[in-house]
Amino acid sequence: MRRVVSLAVLVSIVLGMSLLIVLSGQSFYPSENLRWLAVVYLNTTYNPYLPDFTVWSPESVTAIVWDYRGLDTLYETTVFYLAIIAGLALGRGVKRLNQKPTDESGLSPIVKTVTKITGPMILAVAASIGLHGHLTPGGGFQGGATAAVVPVVFIVVFSSFYLLWKGVSSQRMLTLRSAGLIGIGLTSIALFLAGLLLGLPSYVFQNIDKTTSPLSMPYDVHGALLSGTLWWFNLFEFLAVSSGFTLAFIILMTPEAEEKW
Amino acid sequence: MVGFLAEYMFTVIYLSLFVNLGLTLFGLFYKPHYIKKLIMLSILGDTLNMFTIFLGYRAWPTPTTPSRPPILLTYPFENTSVLVEFTSRAVDPLPQALVLTAVVIGLAVMVFLIFLGDNLFKHYGTLDMREIRRLRG
Repeated sequence: MRRVVSLAVLVSIVLGMSLLIVLSGQSFYPSENLRWLAVVYLNTTYNPYLPDFTVWSPESVTAIVWDYRGLDTLYETTVFYLAIIAGLALGRGVKRLNQKPTDESGLSPIVKTVTKITGPMILAVAASIGLHGHLTPGGGFQGGATAAVVPVVFIVVFSSFYLLWKGVSSQRMLTLRSAGLIGIGLTSIALFLAGLLLGLPSYVFQNIDKTTSPLSMPYDVHGALLSGTLWWFNLFEFLAVSSGFTLAFIILMTPEAEEKW
Repeated sequence: MVGFLAEYMFTVIYLSLFVNLGLTLFGLFYKPHYIKKLIMLSILGDTLNMFTIFLGYRAWPTPTTPSRPPILLTYPFENTSVLVEFTSRAVDPLPQALVLTAVVIGLAVMVFLIFLGDNLFKHYGTLDMREIRRLRG
């Protein structure tokens, strides 16, 4: 009987949500008229004929994430920061073991050798994803999440003390993550500070020069596109995300010294 | 025929997403184990992200000229024909940008919930929600 009731509740939830979406097709669910907004973004993302609106980035998703809606992403980074901090606060006050890893710990030598080869390759792919984020699909978030795979694999294959012994400690990851966040903050106000110093009008989160503000980040260095602030944002976000997740995984997977309860 | 087939597949995927939504809600409400709830929560988040991605595929040109990713491949270009073709065929990049941030936040929240589960297990010695409810106080 309980099972029937639960099934009925779930089916009614799903059918009700579908009905809501269908009935309010004109307002609640975006209609096909919304296409003009996409056309505006697509038309200005890399357009030398509109120098006042373009971002000089062929990848329109990164252009939206870090230029058109840069403030959204800044606060989203804050939420990410707070979630990691909240997780670390839950793991606080626990003494953790720290010992030298032995040859017996971890999986077999075959797996260890393969991991030693593939680990740097994963890091290289992650850096490529992160730093080419303004040209090809990718960016700081995706690259950072890819790079965070490496410590997990190393903890599983070697042991949880191997990373500590190699110098990847939680303190260093915290420092690296703070450096990434400070870099994001500095990049967002870099042109504003330059405008204050030079006495020129400029905005927070400014990227390319506008008619009202002549200051611009370099978007093209010797033929290589940098897309102004996008490359720097991707670099610092890559640092922040990869070190934040590494920090969480290190804290989560290191055994405790003694049982407290 | 092609148009009918494209519309049919679109509808099938859309309906299967709703089935997915129901299954994850069932898991969230009625499965007692914490880890199972976490798995269902992550699938629920991915389903909702998929709904958002689907918004970008509205009003694509015609089924015979399928949509393309919102990434300009040929640059710098000589004339505007490249840009016109790009703006008429590329999917909406805005839902993709929103989902990109939602995925990372979801991952961070998942890490936080795993920390929470770790502490739950340390306190109660079990991750069964029925046991944890009974031991309240």
